[in-house]
Amino acid sequence: MMNQSKNHWLKNSGLVAAVVILALVFIRLGFWQLDRAAELKELQKPYVEKPVVALSDVASPSENLKDSAINRIVEFSGQYVAQFDAPGQIDNQEKVGTWLVGLLEVNGGGAILVVRSTQAEELPKGEIFVQGRLMLRQFEDRAAKSQDQLSRLDPSLLVATYNLPVYDGYVVANSELLNGKALELKRAQVDPVKPKVPGYYWQHISYVVIWWLMALVVVFLPFYSRQREKKVKGILN
Amino acid sequence: MNGVIKRFRFMAFAAGIMSLLLWFVELPVVYLLDNPELEAKVKWIPFVHGYVYAFYVLAAIHFTAKARFTIKRMILFILAGTLPIASFVAERKVMREFPIK
Repeated sequence: MMNQSKNHWLKNSGLVAAVVILALVFIRLGFWQLDRAAELKELQKPYVEKPVVALSDVASPSENLKDSAINRIVEFSGQYVAQFDAPGQIDNQEKVGTWLVGLLEVNGGGAILVVRSTQAEELPKGEIFVQGRLMLRQFEDRAAKSQDQLSRLDPSLLVATYNLPVYDGYVVANSELLNGKALELKRAQVDPVKPKVPGYYWQHISYVVIWWLMALVVVFLPFYSRQREKKVKGILN
Repeated sequence: MNGVIKRFRFMAFAAGIMSLLLWFVELPVVYLLDNPELEAKVKWIPFVHGYVYAFYVLAAIHFTAKARFTIKRMILFILAGTLPIASFVAERKVMREFPIK
């Protein structure tokens, strides 16, 4: 008799735990969809430029770029150690061209890729101060890779060649000062990247409804089961 | 009971059609074709599907509870709305078991 009631208690506790866990999972999934809907709403707002910040304040060499650092206007100084062509790059006017990209050894440690110009220029020698927009690295090749050409704007392509810890992403320079004197170059024009959230606002809201409905269903099922058993027993008696 | 069955049949058809549109029209257009114009034309499908499925779930619960189906059958009926032809199959089964007078 004791064993039976203990088994019954264990079975009921297991059922309650399973219902609570499943309901919580569905509720969490609903909140996840709600967050995505909110993210989509946020993306529709115009981009607000944040204050200029030192590169080292928002990023570190050999570390993945944080979401909060992407699109920030950063400034840093150092010396160029190499320069490459990056074909197949597209500016904010959808114009495809070859960009001139420098690898700059940053004062304080690390190196970063800097998009300097949309036309060929000489590699400046000396102390350079750069200000520009920090962008997420590219993932798809746009050209073949060679000694002086980058297939995409991705610092990981240079890790094996240069013995320097590199910053993730790249900077599209707005201005460069060589020993305090501005370099007049034809700069690449880019817009801040907008992260993509798949789907549509009302679609995510509909999924919120479904997940929370599922949570309600999970809570309802044990009561349904008990009611059904009672009715079936009533019919049999 | 007839009203409950009719509601379930209607929602099974609607959910089935929306699932077919989602799987064989919206998803290929978004993930296989690179055509933003076409993408804009099919963007209503996923969210209409979402709401139709929610109503399908309610109709399926109402019907299976009235018919005193087991929990396992109830869950299978709920899940039938997620696959393109499963809700049509569920609707046919219902029609065989509960022919409307």
